Amino acid sequence: MSQRLTTSPFLHNNSSVQKLMLQIQLAALPALLTHIYFFGLGITIQWTLAVLTLLVVETTMLKLRNRPVMPYLSDLSGLITVTGIVFCIPPESPWWLVVSAVTFALIFGKHLYGGLGYNPFNPAMLGYAFVLISFPAEISHWTLPSTLSGHTLSFIDSFHLIFYGHIPSLSLDQITGATPLDAIKTGLTMGKSVTDSLQSHLFYLDALPYGWTELNIAFLVGGLYLLSRNYIRWQYPVGFLLALGGMSAIFHAIDPNTYASASVNLFSGGVMLAAFFIITDPVTSSTTPKGRFIFAFGIGVLVFIIRNWGAFPDGIAFAILLMNLCVPLIDQYTKPRVMGYK
Amino acid sequence: MKTQLIKWLTKIYPIAKRALKKFHGGVFPSYYKELSSRHTTLQTSLPKELILPLNQHIGAEDLPLVAMGDKVKKYQLIAAADLKNLHAPIHAPASGTITAIEYRQLPHTSGLTGLCIVITTDEQQVEQTNPLNFPAKKGDACQPNTPQALKDIVYQAGIVGMGGAGFPTFAKIPNVKGKIQTLIINGAECEPFITCDDVLMQQHASEVLSGAQIIAKALACPSIIAGIEDNKPLAIKAMKQAAHKFENIQIQPLLTIYPMGGEKQLIKELLNTEIPAGTHAIDSGILMMNVSTLRAIHQAINLGRPLISRLITVSGLGLDKPFNSEVLLGTPFEQLVEQAQPKSALNYPLIQGGPMMGFEVPNNQVPVIKTTNCILANPPQTTETTMPCIRCGECMDACPINLLPQQLYWYSRSHEFEKVEKLNLFDCIECGCCSFVCPSHIPLVQYYRFAKSEIKTAKIEQQKANLAQKRHENKLAREARLKAEKDARIKAKKEAIKQKALLKAANTDEDASAPTKIKKSPAVAAAEKAAAMRKKKLTQTSQYPIDTQTQTQTEEMSKKPALSAREKAIAAAKKRSTQTKSNVENSAEKRKRKAQTASNSPSVIETAEQKAIRRAAELAKNMKKKALAEKNRVEKQTNNAPEDHQLTTSQNTGTGTQDKSVIEKPIANKRAVAMQAAKERAAAMKAKKLAEALQTKNEKIE
Repeated sequence: MSQRLTTSPFLHNNSSVQKLMLQIQLAALPALLTHIYFFGLGITIQWTLAVLTLLVVETTMLKLRNRPVMPYLSDLSGLITVTGIVFCIPPESPWWLVVSAVTFALIFGKHLYGGLGYNPFNPAMLGYAFVLISFPAEISHWTLPSTLSGHTLSFIDSFHLIFYGHIPSLSLDQITGATPLDAIKTGLTMGKSVTDSLQSHLFYLDALPYGWTELNIAFLVGGLYLLSRNYIRWQYPVGFLLALGGMSAIFHAIDPNTYASASVNLFSGGVMLAAFFIITDPVTSSTTPKGRFIFAFGIGVLVFIIRNWGAFPDGIAFAILLMNLCVPLIDQYTKPRVMGYK
Repeated sequence: MKTQLIKWLTKIYPIAKRALKKFHGGVFPSYYKELSSRHTTLQTSLPKELILPLNQHIGAEDLPLVAMGDKVKKYQLIAAADLKNLHAPIHAPASGTITAIEYRQLPHTSGLTGLCIVITTDEQQVEQTNPLNFPAKKGDACQPNTPQALKDIVYQAGIVGMGGAGFPTFAKIPNVKGKIQTLIINGAECEPFITCDDVLMQQHASEVLSGAQIIAKALACPSIIAGIEDNKPLAIKAMKQAAHKFENIQIQPLLTIYPMGGEKQLIKELLNTEIPAGTHAIDSGILMMNVSTLRAIHQAINLGRPLISRLITVSGLGLDKPFNSEVLLGTPFEQLVEQAQPKSALNYPLIQGGPMMGFEVPNNQVPVIKTTNCILANPPQTTETTMPCIRCGECMDACPINLLPQQLYWYSRSHEFEKVEKLNLFDCIECGCCSFVCPSHIPLVQYYRFAKSEIKTAKIEQQKANLAQKRHENKLAREARLKAEKDARIKAKKEAIKQKALLKAANTDEDASAPTKIKKSPAVAAAEKAAAMRKKKLTQTSQYPIDTQTQTQTEEMSKKPALSAREKAIAAAKKRSTQTKSNVENSAEKRKRKAQTASNSPSVIETAEQKAIRRAAELAKNMKKKALAEKNRVEKQTNNAPEDHQLTTSQNTGTGTQDKSVIEKPIANKRAVAMQAAKERAAAMKAKKLAEALQTKNEKIE
């Protein structure tokens, strides 16, 4: 398809979709390493599974859609999707969970709409939401950080857990447990105040969730790199974190027993992953500068609402999908002022 | 303070550099300016042949003022157009002979050919003295003090916007003094590769500023600002030095960002004002001139020289020795590029203008024209595969107009041109920033050009359609008016005849008393009616077959038979009126005779009446007979006709599927005949009834 340039401009800044996606993938590396450090090597198996699924599904779908396979497979956009999913699902969840999530994400979230650039919903979040609703039990068993459970899972252990569902020496209950956000949520339903929940071993003394804080910081570091290189726009993380942090700060000040502090909210769950890697997906977000901020801000508000008043401990996937729906409306009303017009 | 902060920010967030200027967007391409600027300006040899297109500007094509074989002198006026049309005259850049006036390839993006004057140069190089017809006394006399004087000289020198637009400069200059508050000297030169303005400012700074000064004086413009990008430190230095000699000239270094040299962008940057959409800079009291244009104005006014040469850059990655040079207009591109020592054979198209907004020339023999600022020889590059738009918004961040290129692309692609227009497509300056940054390598500018041309074509089509519709409506109105006039005329005539007849009757029938007339008229009317009926029938029968055939014809066509029918009716009415006239005359005569024999008038009236009745009755009888005969004929025909004919007749309305061509005609005929018969019968009945009624009435009177 490459041909000679015949019309101006005859120059290009040498950017490409592939390079952009690769940079985003590289920026997720610190988080991957942190994840491995705290939750074991399970994620590498999940990631491999996800990539294999990606290759099969993408190739099949592109063939079915009569599209050239190589250019679209090598744009690496699918890689970002599977990375988003892999970081969301528990590292020792059964193998079919990640396979079905990725399959659903790519088929229903991407290719059925016409592939890259045409999907209204964030494919990663669509795939994750699908398994979150369909298999709630499997999703809720998150591996405990090895220092908390006292068991360090080897690669073989993780392999056994993922493919056979058990390992000979240990019972599943010993190594998996609730996530910090789960703990707060269940604590509240049992009449335990948030301050009491924060006393549990899942949290540091200063109430930051153990392991998750580091993971979120790793995402933040990668995200700041992306931001400085202008691969992502500042409106997304700023809008999102401002809304979530601001709302939690306000409600925490009103009622500290029901609402966790801003720092707990910002450094738990997939907040930083979402802020820098998920909601920054340009295809499914608003395209105007103001619109991006509104989009991100809306997600922050919805995440807070779902976390505190909804049924799910973490509502990022649903918040993003809901705001994806609003994108055409936001775009319509946030057109920038064109030069020369009042 | 703010700039300091932004400068610090650029260290960790490079793209923040965009915030250092006042307009939105912009890109930072690789400039390659050192390619051509590091070499000194070159003296190019006199070309053997100069090709001068007659349209080197925006506006009408010039007409040649010379003929084949004519000897021309340097600076001689060789082409101009009617003053009514926007144009700029063309002068001979060198002396020589006109060897051709023919169509040649133009240095234009369309690839079109255009009429060119070809001069074969000679050795002597004879110059025309005083080519701009200045008054004999040189010096201050030539300095224009009014806008009109300035415009005259600028027009005569054939000066156009030399930054690339090619708009005749005289047309840009306002007619009144004091309208312009700021004259901006555009020395930004933001396109990569091009350095001719840079060199011009370095070498001829005082000429540029003198040109600006002349304009400012003539227009009573209080301030002059020169904007120069800060990647030209030597030019800024030279201009600043030269500016000391003049008043009110300010040299302003600018951030190096593309497209700083765009008119709207430069105005925003220098004066922080936005030119409202749909208006020109002049309307805001701002006049902008390129440095080359200003130098040309200086040369015209101070040296009396028309525009015959310009400084251009010959550069590109495919050349070993790129250079800048003062080149005669009409010099073929290839000759100049050969002088720059191409690295490989020139088997690729050259680019006129810069790499961001220039275009590939259709062939490398095209000449340098007034708007050529750069010839670029970049070996062909391959584009990367175009990927789908991912709405990343890079283009939006780069757009210097603050448009939404991604949305424009989306709607251009789906041909939703209304939406494209709503997104202000026509404010797009096609600077190419969006395509430059697009990670999906989408040729965005091409889409916008396509959308623009589609919308323009559609608008022209719409205008044409509107005009045609209006014309058609006017035609209909005219026809209706003519018809109405005709009808009125006929009516008036009819009235006149009637009046005349009545008058005549009154004159001749002296004895006849008033009641006779009244009583007589119904009988006459009955006769008239019968006659009219007959006529009507006739017209209808003649019309009928046409009607069945003209089902698919257009409105206009279908009006024709109706019109003819009406005409026939009118003719019938005319006939009727003459008939009545004769009738009245006849009866009057008869009455006269009767009156002579009979002694009392009532009997006369009676006989007259009776006569009328009798005539009516006779008429009715005749009609009856006729109808009967007709009926018999029809019956005979139907009897003679084959059986299936009858079948289709009963089925009616010609829906019969078999052998229409054979069947339809007899059916139509038969139907027509039947209808005629029926109508005649009805008419006869009516006449009979009328006659009877009259009789009873008469009886009653008796």
